[in-house]
Amino acid sequence: MIDFRSYRLDNGLRLLVHEDRSTPLVAMNVLYDAGSRDEDPSLTGMAHLVEHLMYCGTGNIPEYDLPLQLAGGENNAFTNNDITNYYLTLPSGNIETAFWLESDRMLAPDFTGRKLDVQKSVVIEEFKQRYLNQPYGDAMLRLRPLAYTTHPYRWPTIGIDPSHIERISLENVQHFFSRHYNPGKAILTLTGNITPDRAYDLAQLWFGSIPSGEQHDRSLPSEPVQTEERHMTVERDLPASALYKAWHMGPRSGSDFHTMDLITDLLAGGESGRLYNRVVRDLNLFSEINAYITSDLDPGLVIVTGKLMKGVNIEKAETAVIRVIDELKDTVPMDDEIDKVKNRYESSTVLSNTSILNKALNLSVFELLGDASRINREVENYRAVSKPMIKDAAIRHFNPENCSTLYYIASKKTGK
Amino acid sequence: MSSFQRIQPPVHPFDAQIDIPLKSLALNNGARVFMIEAGTEDVIRIECVFRAGIIKENLPLLASSANMMLTEGSEKYTSEELNALLDYYGIFLNLQAERDTAGLTAYFLSRYFDKSLELIAEVLFSPVFPAKELEKLMKKRLNWFRINREKVQNIASDRFFESVFGQNHPYGRQVSEPDFDGMTPSLLRDFHSRLYRPEEMAVIVSGKIPGSASASLEKHFGGLRSEKIQNIETESILEGSPVRKEHIKKKGAVQTAIRIGAATINKRHPDYPGLKFLNVILGGYFGSRLMKNIREEKGYTYGIHSIVSSFDKSGFRMISTEVGRENAGKAVDEIKKEINLLLTIPVQADEIEVVSNYMAGELVRLFDGPMAIAESFKSAWEFGLDLSYFSTIMHTIRTITPEELLKLANTYYTTGDIYEITAG
Repeated sequence: MIDFRSYRLDNGLRLLVHEDRSTPLVAMNVLYDAGSRDEDPSLTGMAHLVEHLMYCGTGNIPEYDLPLQLAGGENNAFTNNDITNYYLTLPSGNIETAFWLESDRMLAPDFTGRKLDVQKSVVIEEFKQRYLNQPYGDAMLRLRPLAYTTHPYRWPTIGIDPSHIERISLENVQHFFSRHYNPGKAILTLTGNITPDRAYDLAQLWFGSIPSGEQHDRSLPSEPVQTEERHMTVERDLPASALYKAWHMGPRSGSDFHTMDLITDLLAGGESGRLYNRVVRDLNLFSEINAYITSDLDPGLVIVTGKLMKGVNIEKAETAVIRVIDELKDTVPMDDEIDKVKNRYESSTVLSNTSILNKALNLSVFELLGDASRINREVENYRAVSKPMIKDAAIRHFNPENCSTLYYIASKKTGK
Repeated sequence: MSSFQRIQPPVHPFDAQIDIPLKSLALNNGARVFMIEAGTEDVIRIECVFRAGIIKENLPLLASSANMMLTEGSEKYTSEELNALLDYYGIFLNLQAERDTAGLTAYFLSRYFDKSLELIAEVLFSPVFPAKELEKLMKKRLNWFRINREKVQNIASDRFFESVFGQNHPYGRQVSEPDFDGMTPSLLRDFHSRLYRPEEMAVIVSGKIPGSASASLEKHFGGLRSEKIQNIETESILEGSPVRKEHIKKKGAVQTAIRIGAATINKRHPDYPGLKFLNVILGGYFGSRLMKNIREEKGYTYGIHSIVSSFDKSGFRMISTEVGRENAGKAVDEIKKEINLLLTIPVQADEIEVVSNYMAGELVRLFDGPMAIAESFKSAWEFGLDLSYFSTIMHTIRTITPEELLKLANTYYTTGDIYEITAG
């Protein structure tokens, strides 16, 4: 059970505080309701580039990291399709430094042309390092636009192409910042060695005077229902082929979310998942197989990916995968199997709660979904998934016309 | 409110709390147990450690294969049954074979303490190494190996370790494709019976430990005895390659991976804390000189890091980065320039203050919560050190001077012995 207090300042900033006296540290998480889905389709990669620029100082504070390091702190951030999230930890005695730093960059970061140019090169190197210069690194860059024709989830957070990042101007950055970075769009969460009263007073002091800014409703084009099987093949100079399959599913707050999450665990959780047992252990068609849901806030995807063993025909491998998935539609799982995936969920949740940073992020995300107290009901929600719910959800989701498939074909000649 | 000014709040001094709630005991068979009772969640971490790392293997892949086969079938269960049971109880089990040690780390709910121990004992001490499962594992590993060899990072790192420690020492020896044919059940069984001996195991338990824990440990581990087997220890010679600079070409690569460094002292040496400090200045945190120069000023890379790390028989320092191909030469020049600055110009007091506080903060994080404490404990214990190792670091952090840093740089960061490996 995670006890927390929640507040809303006059400027719209939401504040959550969970006190945990067992740690000498405090974690601060600042979630902005702005992700790559909010980008202009011709300037993709913007949200993530802005995340980089947020570390380049304000008029008041030339460098973000220096004072934080002086106070014994450590920080990082990530951007995804839905949110941009900044987080840090500090010895509790120095927590006010975090309020000063985070409020100052929410108020007025100092973007300049020179800083923009450097961060554009850094991000383009990141693009190369993680997506272009890695085996299979571009697979999701191909799969997304296959699965989505309309919704902004069709592009990845890093951007469609390095040329989009090159094209972004200082004015574009300013515009994105002023539209998305303000108290009404942010959730501030503190966990660890701090009382709710102190957190509230400090939030009021440092964030209270930041203007609430304009609020815009988000109106994103919704993805039309897929009615036909989609298929794409790419060939790469690699030693092993890979299979990627994606089916559309509902949003994070939808009624199937927990069921679909458990289904992916039934399929490929641990080394006792059905897919693992069949296509890796028994048939030796794959060297590894994974299944997961993307957990996006808007309707997302269920994804199955696997790397093929050498010499295996990809169509044969795919047929074997589909057969395992189809079994979910024909029969209900055994009690032991359902209990297993629920137990695994409970273990991972309890384990995740040993970290004040995880607790801060999870509280923030549930607050964004509309109710932070859901953090304490998730295990229950997973426990409530029944055998018929699994069969029913499998029947509704795992159809060829709801599926996009990417064949990633290896053309490298290797020995044996 | 009107008088409020956005000025920097004062920084208060802080120190890590290094004395930890550690209870140590020996089981009936001599196995050592260390218990760290702390935390708020009903979850346990157990790490079982053996001196069964890569250094003990006479064939490449032996230590890691013996380790990975532990969950592939036991006296009581097939591979499939064993994995289903571990998953049923929500036990997250990570097998690990490192340079010096091997074993496993498991995370599970406190209420399954006894059951988890029973299964862990089965995994560690009753594996049967079935030929069929071994063959499948080696095919999978070959597949992964080939994929990993496509990454410039791996190509450069593997060659770096080979150059620094020599191709005849397990620390440096590279794996090649024919090695995947060399594993047999009898080789693994032999390695296991010699090196995974219950009497020589160390168990580190942390979390919200139930009252019945000692009894469970005794029940599942304390009664196990192994056959007396002579362990013949042959010591390989650590000898770096005479070739100091090498480029490995990788067709189609858009980035070049750079690895620069050398062998050095390990954490048993009294200069080690100071060397760590120097390394943080150079490339050990976001505000480091290398990050500032090569990422934040030049934009050549997404990241550049410098580490100093310890093995039982040696240690190494290594700078690593991936940069656009066109900037590889310039990046190497800048790295060397930064090393030379450390050798010639005393570090200013304000930079020492930043690094000192940053490292003190890191120390607080290393002792935050039972799992972190367990990892920190192990990192000292495996070198025969106790927690005073961390107090020494704390002391160094708070007292080190520009003169000492200059002396350390000129002792440990001279450029004459460095290896410069690039791949791309």
